[in-house]
Amino acid sequence: MNIPENMLCSKSHEFIVNNGDNTYTVGLTDYAIEQLGDIVFLELPENDTEFKKGETFATIESVKAASEIYMPISGKIIAVNDSLVDTPETLNEDCYENGWLVKIEPTGDVETEEAELLEYEDYKEELE
Amino acid sequence: MTKETFLHDKHIGLGAKMVDFAGWHMPVQYTSIIEEHKTVREKVGLFDVSHMGEVFVSGKDSVEFLNKIVPQDISKLNYEKAVYCQLTNKKGGLIDDLIIYRLGILEYLVICNASRIDEDLNWMVRNSKEFDIKIDNQSHNYSLLAVQGPQADSLMRTLGLETNQESFTIKPSKIAGIKVLVSRTGYTGEDGYEILVENSHSEYLWDEILEKGKTFGIKPIGLGARDTLRLEAALHLYGNDLNEDTTPIEAGLTWSIPKDKTSDYNGKDVITEQLKNGGRKKLVGLKMLDKSIARHEYDVYYNNEKVGVITSGAPSPILGANIALAYVNNDNEICTGTTVQVMIREKLHDAIIVKRPFVEKRNKIKF
Repeated sequence: MNIPENMLCSKSHEFIVNNGDNTYTVGLTDYAIEQLGDIVFLELPENDTEFKKGETFATIESVKAASEIYMPISGKIIAVNDSLVDTPETLNEDCYENGWLVKIEPTGDVETEEAELLEYEDYKEELE
Repeated sequence: MTKETFLHDKHIGLGAKMVDFAGWHMPVQYTSIIEEHKTVREKVGLFDVSHMGEVFVSGKDSVEFLNKIVPQDISKLNYEKAVYCQLTNKKGGLIDDLIIYRLGILEYLVICNASRIDEDLNWMVRNSKEFDIKIDNQSHNYSLLAVQGPQADSLMRTLGLETNQESFTIKPSKIAGIKVLVSRTGYTGEDGYEILVENSHSEYLWDEILEKGKTFGIKPIGLGARDTLRLEAALHLYGNDLNEDTTPIEAGLTWSIPKDKTSDYNGKDVITEQLKNGGRKKLVGLKMLDKSIARHEYDVYYNNEKVGVITSGAPSPILGANIALAYVNNDNEICTGTTVQVMIREKLHDAIIVKRPFVEKRNKIKF
């Protein structure tokens, strides 16, 4: 599993990667997936819907329980990884490359919002 | 203070993910719940269930005492046999569900849920005043290991189990050279054994079972798979599917209640009345008709009216569908084959009421 460069993580275990074209890829960290165990169900949002930072935009279910996924920065959904709905186990194999959840266009003050996120190393340290 | 079983270090060594369950630090999974689940259905799995309670009841009035606290007829329980029971309150509600084993002429073993040991003991003591008996909680001295799956019997032979043992029997035995009590019971719907061993030998026995079990494809199994296995078998989980406001009749346990028991027991009037007329609610099995998963406490609807609540729900790794147990109003229209709806994140999802168990049980061993 390759950890993407420039990845930022939230304390609630979402990540964003700046794609360099004013879009961001959003997903869940390997730590979150590891903690959840076998992923069996995902409920993803529709394209064009907008979410503020911290709002629930998706739900993920492991064998044991359902968990909400929060938007790490405010944004509008521009792409949804629909293939995950049929093969949620992809997330257990690779949550960064094939297991991304949505792509967004930021709608808020990106700089301020990003500043509240952690670099992967700091995020991992925070977990210990 | 979270308690640890005598096998705690083994779980850590095996890389288990640990969680708090009923005040115990227990393995929820070692590798993957789905993989562990399939191992038990296809091969054999080893569980540490030492958190469960072991209470010995002995003395002159043992039968009369036990007969007062459960609806089952303990006077009919033969030597070395086991019976699934419920500890009922005065209203017929469930304080716990138990297995009672007869170990001797006037000696019984009660295995109870970890989360209910204190309530069970209090209730037993409160009900014991007029009886000449001894209640001896030995939970802290024993470990309980479960060996479950189609290969469980072959593995137990390899470990030295000598005699044939029917399901729901218990016998003193020697496994891997250790003196143990072996019962052919379990909580998975599969054939299997539960082994009661003194704490000092539990680590050795755990290692021996895993070592000898290698050729049978054994894996250690966590509480996560234990939960999905018992749900497929539609076995109740106390706290989810059973509580003090639910009677055995409502819980679909009518099969376990003798109709001809003459002696009085706690809640007999309510249970007798419900045997005739049914309960206020009834337990049903649900299969979701889409990919959504019904979880504990989600509401159940029929004709746009709330008619019940989910008590347990999870994906069934064997059926490839999502299943659940729910209590619904005791209404004849809501029965096997009826489509109801489950409210999941503010949307209604169709589910069909199906027969329980969801997956056929394979644990009825007779000789």
